[in-house]
Amino acid sequence: MASTDDWRRQFTKYKEDVKERGKPFYPYAMFHDTVMSLVVVSVIIGVTCVWYFTSGEDPSSCGSGHSCLLGPRYSDPADPATTNFVPRPDWYFYFLFYLLRIFKWPDSVILGTVGIPTIALIIAFMLPFFDRRMERRLTRRPVAVIGAILVVLSMGVLTYKGATAHEALASEVVGAVPTWAQREGFAGNAEAIAGAKIFASSGCTACHTYLGTGSSNQGAPDLSAEGSKGRDKQFFTSYIRDPSKFGNNVMPKFGFSDQQLGQLAAFLLASKGPK
Amino acid sequence: MAVAARNKKSARRRQLEAAINYPIDWLEERSGLVGGIKYFIFRKVPGDTNWFHTLGSATLTAFLVQALTGAILAMYYKPDPQSAYQSIQHITNDITLGWLVRGMHKWGASVFIILMFFHMARVFLFGAYKYPRELNWIIGVMLLAIGMLEGFTGYLLPWDQTAYWATVVGINLNGTAPFLGPFLADFLRGGAEIGGETISRFYAMHMLLIPGLIFALIGLHLYLVIRLGVTSPPWSSAAAGSEAAGEEPRTNGRSGLTQPAARSGWRRNGGEG
Amino acid sequence: MTEPQHGDRPHLPGPSLYPIAFAAGVACILVGLIVNPKIIVPIGAVIAILFGFLWARDATEEFRGEPVHAIEPESGGPPESTDAPAIPANQGEDAMPAPEPGERFPRNRFLEGATLGLGAVIGGLVTVPAVGFMIVPAFKGQGYPKVDLGPLENFTEGRWFVTKFFMHPGSDGEVSHRTAYIRNNGQLDGEPSFTIISNRCAHLGCPVQPNGPVQDNQKKEIDGKAGQRITMIPVIPAGGYGCPCHGGQYDVEGNRVSGPPTRGLDRYEFSVVDGHLILGKPYSVTRVDGEGKTARIHKYKLAGPGQHVDGWEQILYPLQPPH
Repeated sequence: MASTDDWRRQFTKYKEDVKERGKPFYPYAMFHDTVMSLVVVSVIIGVTCVWYFTSGEDPSSCGSGHSCLLGPRYSDPADPATTNFVPRPDWYFYFLFYLLRIFKWPDSVILGTVGIPTIALIIAFMLPFFDRRMERRLTRRPVAVIGAILVVLSMGVLTYKGATAHEALASEVVGAVPTWAQREGFAGNAEAIAGAKIFASSGCTACHTYLGTGSSNQGAPDLSAEGSKGRDKQFFTSYIRDPSKFGNNVMPKFGFSDQQLGQLAAFLLASKGPK
Repeated sequence: MAVAARNKKSARRRQLEAAINYPIDWLEERSGLVGGIKYFIFRKVPGDTNWFHTLGSATLTAFLVQALTGAILAMYYKPDPQSAYQSIQHITNDITLGWLVRGMHKWGASVFIILMFFHMARVFLFGAYKYPRELNWIIGVMLLAIGMLEGFTGYLLPWDQTAYWATVVGINLNGTAPFLGPFLADFLRGGAEIGGETISRFYAMHMLLIPGLIFALIGLHLYLVIRLGVTSPPWSSAAAGSEAAGEEPRTNGRSGLTQPAARSGWRRNGGEG
Repeated sequence: MTEPQHGDRPHLPGPSLYPIAFAAGVACILVGLIVNPKIIVPIGAVIAILFGFLWARDATEEFRGEPVHAIEPESGGPPESTDAPAIPANQGEDAMPAPEPGERFPRNRFLEGATLGLGAVIGGLVTVPAVGFMIVPAFKGQGYPKVDLGPLENFTEGRWFVTKFFMHPGSDGEVSHRTAYIRNNGQLDGEPSFTIISNRCAHLGCPVQPNGPVQDNQKKEIDGKAGQRITMIPVIPAGGYGCPCHGGQYDVEGNRVSGPPTRGLDRYEFSVVDGHLILGKPYSVTRVDGEGKTARIHKYKLAGPGQHVDGWEQILYPLQPPH
């Protein structure tokens, strides 16, 4: 802990040093500043060009026709009544977004929403008053260096986890169907693929898991290898039509049409486990 | 001949200089501005400043890009729920160079935020927040917080799905603050539910209130930078204000790791000082 | 530089506080005009008149011949630093340099008080209405209208429907588009019973999705009065509801099953008028025991997402804005 007099002496010496041996801001330091500003403006314009020229007027053209390397120009118009949109923040809020997912107990919600951000902000504000040593060399400031590394690491991990976070929601699972078809080897079976799409979009993954997707609520089994248990299509059809007839009172009657039941049965029959 | 030519040239040159200097002197005599700018430009900085010290001015550049592109986007953008989305489509797809200006504003926001964090990391690692620069660190943290608020209010304006739902979550985050949270959320929405009031008040905050505050704080920030000077890199053997400054670089084992960079840095950047 | 010598004077709460209190009174009147003209305005008026009078009395003290205790000639003599070289006017840093020897500009408390007070009045006159204009409308006249969701027959008994409707048809357009999950529970004691669950996640307000097939091919659109358009899509939320943002899961009655939501899904009140289902105000629910028409609903005043309405955390949210 340096005394105020030490600080003042050091700053007086700083001013003398700068006066005696400093360089004029213009052009020595300002040259660097100008080059850096040029880099900044170029990056902004460059990123804008990539964003614009890889996207189309229609946000749904991303993936079909446009690569949308940096995302669409805009998403669909705001619809407060949506039932299939998956909200995600801009990338620089991913860490906060994932922080909210970490606190998955109702009692701790407030920690993620206001608690930790407020504490972080207060620590940031108070930093000059915690750290009152005169030392500035990194090798002599282990706490500061370790703290900085931890903050950067945790921000990086949270951002990465936020960017890759998925839900077992119908609207998100449908995208996994082609991968399933490939891994389970029913890519050529159109009926099974149609069944897989019904399976994915009907919320089955809310209780069942399939190749690691979904959540196992209420003891529902994994269905990745359901077709290798020696059951036939007729069994699956009648089971899904009314599970209570098979003594299953947990799984509800979904009210699928006969055609949908047939497709679902074909999908389950084709699920012989990942190859 | 040669001598005469040179004299003639220098006479013309003198005339030219007088012509250039006259308005500058006129301005200086009546405002003192020129002296101020001269002081700002030719002030001494430590001889060992380097590329890390450019992050602050780079952040300023990014902010000025935002201010300019934003002001011009406001000429075409319509802040109400019925037409906001169409006006964004119109700006991006139809208006000459609209895509570029909107894209620069959209991506400039990200660059601005990243640069603020980089700049903050630099100040932290250099220990540049210590006496007498504590106040400037605090102003910087305020700028970071207000800058993120600016990003939040601007994110709603395209009025697309991502914008709408990010704002829903953002407002409800504020709503969970103890005691005042529910009122804060209603204040931000301009009512119980998100509607036309929300977009116009976000627009006003994003366009006028917050940028005004940011400009004022940047002014203070710069004033303090000029008044207090910038900090030498901590590894510099000739750091301004350090006990060892001006002496031969120490070669004991403990700081050996940082020594080579420091020595070359001094020669490269500070030698002329 | 030496400070003017006034340290030995007792620091009474000076008359300069009167103008500030006067300004506060004026501010109080202005706030009262917005908030509550009957109670706050008279209070503000009393404060303003009282301190206005004190201010005026204080200001005219001099002329009324009473002893002037506030102003003392600052006769400390020339400061010791007279031999120091004069600082050029363009280099000094003080806004108000010390008076030259022989010059007399004593600190005039009336002028100081009046300047500060008038400044406060100007500031109050400008900022109080502006800030009031910014804040108060967000809390006035807020509420939920009754929405006609169409004839009861559209809601097949025992089935769930994703029901989309406009909270304010016509005026706001798409902004007031809302979704509720509605099930007709049949008759209970001769009255129709409905379960109407809001799609607003109780964590941070994301739109929950049904965990079950949404039968888009059986979608029905019904046009109502004044631009209202009801969209009804049969749905089988067999696995309840799931939030796409932070992983909250609910059962089919809207009870929290897992994840961060602080309570169950909000519900809407309803009424039946002329055979039409009328949507009422939303309310918050911590838990539902049982299901369907015999469910016992633990009902609370509507709170925002992420706010606790029960448990010890409810003390963090003691007041809700008027809705």
